[in-house]
Amino acid sequence: MKIISGINSGLVLWLLLISCNAAPGPETVTVTIDQMKYSPQTVTVHKGDTILFVNEDIVAHDVTEANGAWASPRLENGDSWKYVAEADEDYYCSIHLVMKGKIKVE
Amino acid sequence: MKTLTKKMIFKTGLISVFFLFAFSGLQAQSDSPQLNDAEIASVAVTANQIDVDYAALAKKKSNNKDVIRFAQTMQDDHNSVIKMATDLARKLGVTPQDNDVTQSLLSQSRTQTDLLNSKSGKDFDKTYIDNEVAYHEAVINSVETVLIPQSENQELKDLLTRIMPTLKSHLEHAKKLQRELK
Repeated sequence: MKIISGINSGLVLWLLLISCNAAPGPETVTVTIDQMKYSPQTVTVHKGDTILFVNEDIVAHDVTEANGAWASPRLENGDSWKYVAEADEDYYCSIHLVMKGKIKVE
Repeated sequence: MKTLTKKMIFKTGLISVFFLFAFSGLQAQSDSPQLNDAEIASVAVTANQIDVDYAALAKKKSNNKDVIRFAQTMQDDHNSVIKMATDLARKLGVTPQDNDVTQSLLSQSRTQTDLLNSKSGKDFDKTYIDNEVAYHEAVINSVETVLIPQSENQELKDLLTRIMPTLKSHLEHAKKLQRELK
């Protein structure tokens, strides 16, 4: 019984060490679109992280890079769209020009 | 230039007064018998439909791509609001009820449509956008101070509250275009 318990403890310790040494993989961070705002307005991520834009507003929106380098399709209520962040970028909604957001890569 | 600006302020002021007059029925009723929810639903749907109709006219008459894009946004967003309002009315078993405010809005919009039809080119763009600024200012004021406080059903109140950011962003967008069309 004691032997089994010792093996289990060693296994748990080994798994803990593995998980501590593993490099953190890319994460997915959500930006909600609602009430005519991107929330958070400035999203801070690591290079390679995925940003998931989810439109919860009553009207359609999009996500367009400030200089037009990339753009999401039109996102109706309930639609979502993914973008992999590589650098700091500004974006806006090309349907509602007053809506703006920022991506900050650490 | 100063004269032009003064003229523009004067014209915008006139349009604001024009629409505040249209909504004055609402203001007057705030002290007397309230609008019921069926009448509020009618006012909300009509006010949105009027802006959809102005947008359709702008898409037909304007040659300015920014004005056309703005008009498309108005058409899409106000149609979304109309759908939400009619869906909610159906869910609540409420039939939007015609009333003096609705009729006043429709009457004023016919006059404004005639004015827009008489314009062309840059004059049309300016008149349309000046009207959009004044119309959204008047609608925002009425929704905030009359329609929301007078709504009895919580879902109707929530819907009217939820459309406020959209109306305010339309106003900001229209003001931006108004500055660019000077």
